[in-house]
Amino acid sequence: MSRSTHNSSAAWCQQKDRLWLLIWISGLTVLGMWDAVFLNQPSFALLRTAFLNSTVAGVLVVGFSVVMGWSVGVSSYFLETRRPALYFPFTFLLNVVRSIPQIVGILVGYIVLTILIEQEVLRSQFSQLVWMAFVISMFVFLELVDLIRERIAHYNKLDFFQAMLCCGIKEGRIINREILWKNSRAHLLHKMISIFGITIFLQCSIDFIVSVGLSTDVSLSNFPVTLGGLLAKLDSKQDILAIGSSLSSMSNMQSLFFEHLQGVSIAFVIVFSLLCIYKISSGLVKRYHL
Amino acid sequence: MKTKLIEHTLSILLVTCVFLILITFLKREEERRAATSRSSIEPYLQIDSLDFGNPLHTALFKETLTLFHPDSPAQNDSLLRSIEAYRQEQFTNQINKTGGEERGVSPAKLAKLGNMYAQFILVYIVVMILSYRAAQSLAIFRFVRMKQHKGSYFGELYDLVKNRRAKQREPSLSMRAGALFARAILKGFSYAVLFAPAYVIAYSIRSSINTDSYFFMILLGVISNGLLINYANKFFTFLVTEDRKGYVQTAIVKNLSNSYTWGTTDGVSYWALLRPNSLFGSHVFKHIYLNARYQFLTTLKEHASFLITGLIIIEMALNIQGHLGYEMLQNILYKQYDVVVSIILGVFLIVKATDIAVDAWFHWESRKYENKV
Repeated sequence: MSRSTHNSSAAWCQQKDRLWLLIWISGLTVLGMWDAVFLNQPSFALLRTAFLNSTVAGVLVVGFSVVMGWSVGVSSYFLETRRPALYFPFTFLLNVVRSIPQIVGILVGYIVLTILIEQEVLRSQFSQLVWMAFVISMFVFLELVDLIRERIAHYNKLDFFQAMLCCGIKEGRIINREILWKNSRAHLLHKMISIFGITIFLQCSIDFIVSVGLSTDVSLSNFPVTLGGLLAKLDSKQDILAIGSSLSSMSNMQSLFFEHLQGVSIAFVIVFSLLCIYKISSGLVKRYHL
Repeated sequence: MKTKLIEHTLSILLVTCVFLILITFLKREEERRAATSRSSIEPYLQIDSLDFGNPLHTALFKETLTLFHPDSPAQNDSLLRSIEAYRQEQFTNQINKTGGEERGVSPAKLAKLGNMYAQFILVYIVVMILSYRAAQSLAIFRFVRMKQHKGSYFGELYDLVKNRRAKQREPSLSMRAGALFARAILKGFSYAVLFAPAYVIAYSIRSSINTDSYFFMILLGVISNGLLINYANKFFTFLVTEDRKGYVQTAIVKNLSNSYTWGTTDGVSYWALLRPNSLFGSHVFKHIYLNARYQFLTTLKEHASFLITGLIIIEMALNIQGHLGYEMLQNILYKQYDVVVSIILGVFLIVKATDIAVDAWFHWESRKYENKV
């Protein structure tokens, strides 16, 4: 490869996170415009609501995870250094949570959600979304705890930490402000984006499973519409099945973009979002040398 | 290692005890609930002349109840609803269906679950081995491309088109552009498959392929749900981190090969993608790889949890009958929570067994690094 070729490629790819954020927004905008023209209005409205609900749930999970991850991460450090007797049971409990696969834990959380809906404890759709987000964050926040412990351990080895202690700065302030806020924001942002991606995947999967497997037990009208739930609808599944037939017969390909738009759009939003989130996350790693 | 083993054993014992207590409690609660609901309506069900399937009989029964208990209409309605629910259950309850089993955890149920559990473990081990190797291959391929300073295919295509005037005499220009475009499309398609949830892939090809086979399940387990790409990314990060370390520069100064051209004697052969451990000779990458792999071992624990999540999603979303995930979903549907808890306990034990195996492997590798083996 020539030098000039390499240089311009490198310049183009320098800020991959921003580039992929732009690609994500542009892709979704183009899809939205296409759907506005060719998808029937009720389906389009459902799709918009589902995307919005999934995004809101993702943001809520990130928020809950940061709060829980930060507090648990810092607390575990202080327990290790000041209350070693409590540190063992604390990490023991965390490891037990870690040993439960996310999907199993979240499914149990959804059973509780169903009971709460049946007993009319959770009535508004937003409160149900908050519950879903809380349940998911319970099983993903440990990644942030690990990161926070890793960052504290990294700075603990450096002279900077001891020097600050000698200057009379409180340990809590050094950790929360100097280490985590001032020197780990890029790491935290990277992890938050990863958690957002994991959440979208887990939420779509669990909603799909609940809608497919428990549809006789759970009234879907009670659950907030999400991308996974919408994909599990019979017409969406038929649209997805049509992808297979269009692969075997190219003449059917055209119908994917008009007749089977609902299912294809949902599948595209899920896959495209997961890809873009991964790329944004990788771009951040590259930009900040994480 | 001893401390870790103690921690794992304690964790298994504690969680098993808690789950067993929960299973017993749920089983008793289920029996109590069934007995209570039956006892309140039992006297009325014994009346031979009364057919609750007949609307006239039901209306007469309701009027009789109102005559006898005029002050408690809600209680009367509740009794009628209980009778109706009981009758409905006679048709919908799994136990009353052909081939139905006893509700809750029973020896027969445990034997059935044990068979499914063994199949699940087998699939899990195969997917674990395949994804572990495939993630390394993918990461090495990406790393070598990075060392070759290659960007995206579309980037290369853009540069090629941009500089076409300078190269217009080159006859193979259009062919190269075509090849780059085809590669970019192929890469895009691969990404779509790698990031697609398993159920999207399975439903999209269900009309032409049997998606319920073991082979397909293993294939989906390895490639879908973003599992492989994210796991490969972890190994790639370790490779890049190792590559930045000082010993790599020292090794290059000491004349170890540092060429990343494919297929040359001092470069990297394509076989290295499949058998990275045995094929780098005096190449500096051998040391980068070994050090990255050492750190990568511990991520297997995290990977195990994601992998099980992926497998359960596949079994549940595709409704693959006779598999553990599907069975769990069915038991949630029939509210047999003691069976659900038993399955969760089984899944927990798989994760713990993986944790112990990975810790033992890491300990053994560490001893090698410390020259104790």
